[in-house]
Amino acid sequence: MQIIENLKLKEKLYIEKLENGLTIMIIPKPGIQKKYIIWGTNYGSNDSEFFVPGEDEKTRVPNGVAHFLEHKLFEQENGTNSLDVLTALGVNANAYTTNDHTAYLFECTDNFYEAMDELMDYVQHPYFTDENVEKEKGIIGQEIMMYDDYPEWRVYLNAMQAMYHNNPIKIDITGTIDTISKIDKEILYKCYHTFYHPSNMALVVCGDFDPEEMLKEVKKRLIVKKNQGEIKRVYPKEPETIVKNRIEQNLEVSQPLYAIGIKDKKDNSDMGNKNLMVQKHIGMEILMNIIIGRSSNLFRELYQEGILYSMPSLDYEFGKDYAHVLITGQSTDPEKLYCKFKEEIQKLKTNGIKEEDFNRIKKMIYGGYVKEYNDVQDIARMFLADYFKGINSFDYIEEIEGVKLEYINQILKDVFKEEKMVISIVKNEQK
Amino acid sequence: MEYKEVELKRGIKLHTIHTDKFKTNLIAVFLTTELNRENVTKNAMISTILRRGSNNMPTQEEISKQMEEMYGAGFDCGLDKTGDNQVLKFYIEIINEQYLPKDGKKLFELAVKSLFDIVFNPYIENGSFKEEYVMQEKNNIRQRIEGKIDNKARYAMDRCIEEMYPEDPFGLYKFGYIEDLEKTNGENLYKYYKELINSCKIDIFVSGNISEENRNVIENNENIKILQERDPKYQIPKNNLKEFNKKENIVTESMDVTQGKLILGLDINLDKEELKYPTLIYNSILGGTANSKMFQNVREKAHLAYVASSSFLRYKNNIFINCGIEIKNYDKALELIKKQIEDMKKGEFTEEDIENAKRGIVATIKTIDDEQDTGITYYFGQELTQSKVSLDEYIRKIKNINRDDIINIAKRVDINTIYFLRD
Repeated sequence: MQIIENLKLKEKLYIEKLENGLTIMIIPKPGIQKKYIIWGTNYGSNDSEFFVPGEDEKTRVPNGVAHFLEHKLFEQENGTNSLDVLTALGVNANAYTTNDHTAYLFECTDNFYEAMDELMDYVQHPYFTDENVEKEKGIIGQEIMMYDDYPEWRVYLNAMQAMYHNNPIKIDITGTIDTISKIDKEILYKCYHTFYHPSNMALVVCGDFDPEEMLKEVKKRLIVKKNQGEIKRVYPKEPETIVKNRIEQNLEVSQPLYAIGIKDKKDNSDMGNKNLMVQKHIGMEILMNIIIGRSSNLFRELYQEGILYSMPSLDYEFGKDYAHVLITGQSTDPEKLYCKFKEEIQKLKTNGIKEEDFNRIKKMIYGGYVKEYNDVQDIARMFLADYFKGINSFDYIEEIEGVKLEYINQILKDVFKEEKMVISIVKNEQK
Repeated sequence: MEYKEVELKRGIKLHTIHTDKFKTNLIAVFLTTELNRENVTKNAMISTILRRGSNNMPTQEEISKQMEEMYGAGFDCGLDKTGDNQVLKFYIEIINEQYLPKDGKKLFELAVKSLFDIVFNPYIENGSFKEEYVMQEKNNIRQRIEGKIDNKARYAMDRCIEEMYPEDPFGLYKFGYIEDLEKTNGENLYKYYKELINSCKIDIFVSGNISEENRNVIENNENIKILQERDPKYQIPKNNLKEFNKKENIVTESMDVTQGKLILGLDINLDKEELKYPTLIYNSILGGTANSKMFQNVREKAHLAYVASSSFLRYKNNIFINCGIEIKNYDKALELIKKQIEDMKKGEFTEEDIENAKRGIVATIKTIDDEQDTGITYYFGQELTQSKVSLDEYIRKIKNINRDDIINIAKRVDINTIYFLRD
């Protein structure tokens, strides 16, 4: 196994790529009772068009299949449900789907290996019937309706729709009632066999383990699968322009919700160059905090004027074929907030960013990266999600020193352009 | 892990949890006071005004800059309703020095100083909180009160509690009431703040890789030294018997929702602290996990809901059942939920259900030490209920519960309120 040690964090990563293509990452945490294992496939809601390895014809599936599979994998041929089996073992099991990956996991203190038997068994043995697929449509339908009532989710998705013409980041991870109605067991099996191949997957374990022993434990639970070629994914061509600069929705909320999005140019050559990706991500975090973070002039003014009462959440999201800045929260007056936000950017572009602010925020971001290593869950999930983006999570703490003020000023000019900005608002029009 | 407590002065305790499991040290100050209608809004105001400025850091901007400078110290305030008490919580989380570049020394001392300065030494102008801050924070709290409706599931739960406790402090909304907000000003709030600081229960928690020197930093802090002794005014959670077999209170409300939120508020008649252990297992079997009756029968078999669960509120001896359902399925879902409660009374659960529930609960107890804030919350809960149970003892008590203990609890369960939020 390859060992990557990080001296700043005093943590080690053991990593191995097996012959069948599966990547295994182990981060030992001596003395911690909690143990966490997560097994993910590089397959999410964005992957609806692809070439099955060995086929010439492109496959197009309805939106929501990745999430549907996440639900259905728990069901076993012998009539049991793996979630019940895992829960009965006293472990805390779950699964989730994002736009670029799907993951199955559990956290526990005892019965780790029994639970690992179950986890690795159900992920490798799908069982879909016409009947059990139909049944699941009812449950997922309820889940979709639940999200319809979440204003935070609406305001986010609307912002995506304002920014992206074609990229699937703009669709619901769950699909819609309409798209899931078209899903059947053949589609599920086809997607399963394509994307749940070891070469498209990674497994991360974090806890008090001996890495070599753990590697053996994983290997002995893997079933043999034929090697598979590369899955070619097709993403629609995305223009650099935005779709529209504003989008509003009416929902019963006490105070408007806003999401300001700034579409970034996504050069796919970045995806291969992890240093560039990590530096950009760090740079963006620093920059967003300088513009509208807790100690910024803008936040102070907005707070004093009663426009903002809490810190917006600041995110830079990126993946295959998309990248954007996202600033979200609740505000009494999103229009004014947006206006002042744009003014502040102009001011910073003209005057440049102060060295003192830059240094202070950089220290804060450094501390934030260290804190990520407190909990086995946070660690394992972070390594998995970063891995699918081609990043080793330790890179953040290593690269931050090299991020310089000139670079921050540069991305401010390159990315924070008015013609790339959108605002999404959810408010109660009766009020 | 090593837990220690010392009484610094009457009514003021320092709790230390020594552990090297974390990259961070977490320091917290909890101010506990009686919950009542007269003070609930003032307490909410105090908790937000204090973070606006201290004597040494008079503006929020200065506080924020100070926190950022300390490698992004996480400063956070919370306001909790714990039984019949209101707890004002202030936290600061800092990176342990060994994970910092050289200049990270003294971070602990700086953090303690900043936190105590914010809580005990606020920014005052002419014997009053700064009016500008008071005005802005009134708006802030008003938004929070009005914001009750935003999270529909949470709102339904709050409304159910309100319906169950119309005359009881526990029915109060923790951020208070708009009409009371109008009556506050910088002067009367500062007067109230002084009363609060002199009479509330004060608990200071420190969790992390801490030394004797760190402990001394706290004890010798000027702001701590000048605090007075007190017989703190707070409520020790009690186990009072509830009125049983009364008519269910059925409440339906309309709002712009796609999915109906159905909440059942259950009373559990517990007269002894020991009965809380079987209740934990009862709740787990009823709706606490994916194996529970609620999840299995309401979600998996009848497909009536995506969320179908229950939670036990230990300070008030209530269980809340929580379901998100299609509005037209109200009758069906309610009938099915009631059947689960009845089946529990009849003992319709297996030995395996009991074992599963125990395993889940034991796992949760074992991880208390693995999460810094959970550890603090656990020891604070013990402090408040004045029952010290070690984690091992806690696990033992859970393991000793048998079938009859659980049926005994089931028979003490009664539906108090059925609340439905629909379109």
